[in-house]
Amino acid sequence: MNAPEVLVYLFVGMTVVLALLVAFRAELTRAQGGKILAFIALFIFPVLAGWAGFSHHMDRAESTRFCLSCHVMSDYGRSLYVNDPSFVPARHFQNDLVPRDHACYTCHTDYTLFGPFHSKMRGLHHVYVEYFGTIPKPDKIKLYTPFNNRECLYCHLGARTFEEEPGHHKTPEMMAKIKSNQMSCMTSNCHDTIHDLDDLKYATFWKEGQ
Amino acid sequence: MAALPIERRIRWAGILIAAGLVVQLITFIWFGPLPFMAFILVSCPLVAIGILIYLYSLVATQSSGVEGQHTSRTTDI
Repeated sequence: MNAPEVLVYLFVGMTVVLALLVAFRAELTRAQGGKILAFIALFIFPVLAGWAGFSHHMDRAESTRFCLSCHVMSDYGRSLYVNDPSFVPARHFQNDLVPRDHACYTCHTDYTLFGPFHSKMRGLHHVYVEYFGTIPKPDKIKLYTPFNNRECLYCHLGARTFEEEPGHHKTPEMMAKIKSNQMSCMTSNCHDTIHDLDDLKYATFWKEGQ
Repeated sequence: MAALPIERRIRWAGILIAAGLVVQLITFIWFGPLPFMAFILVSCPLVAIGILIYLYSLVATQSSGVEGQHTSRTTDI
């Protein structure tokens, strides 16, 4: 538990205590000071506590642990530990190229103005499907739209390993095509081993710390 | 001394807000969509209703106070 989380819990706890104090000593509000206390305890603090809670839940919804809490995602979580660098997510996850506690969200959000909002809306749809819809088999889960190079370039653009990689300059126009998303990083027989759930049964897995 | 109507409303508001925030604290214990849904569908409405009851109690008291003032002034005339 980190310091901001502790602060949120303490603040919400303090608001509960204040709200109960005003609730069970309502006669306090007959005095001017009591009125101010009631306004703080029953309006200002609950609004702030509610907002802090909402923000905290939104942050948690971006965590790898949250994404993998649905059973259908467990194989995708296992694919992060495949002992094979050709698996793009595994390579990123194991080498800290993405923050491990936000691994899913780092790649599966759109880096546009409203990208995080759209990601949350998709997440809400996933929650709906989890409880009220028909959950597809893990290998039947597909992206809504083809993966945009923009999400890769958010980190890789400008990096020497990307810009000077000979494989990205096989033809004069290749780099321009990659940057404009005309040539996908993943479907061009280049970085096309992604989660590949079918191959997991033959894979060996990295055990962290060994 | 008997509780005034505003105090009864404040009591309910405080209890609902506290209940909503306790649910919110409980949802922080677990990870996953269910705690998130509990937060959205249980905690938020409880807190929102509590706040609305509190605000209503303020408005209701003010309007009844204004009405009372108006009536007494009319009587004086």
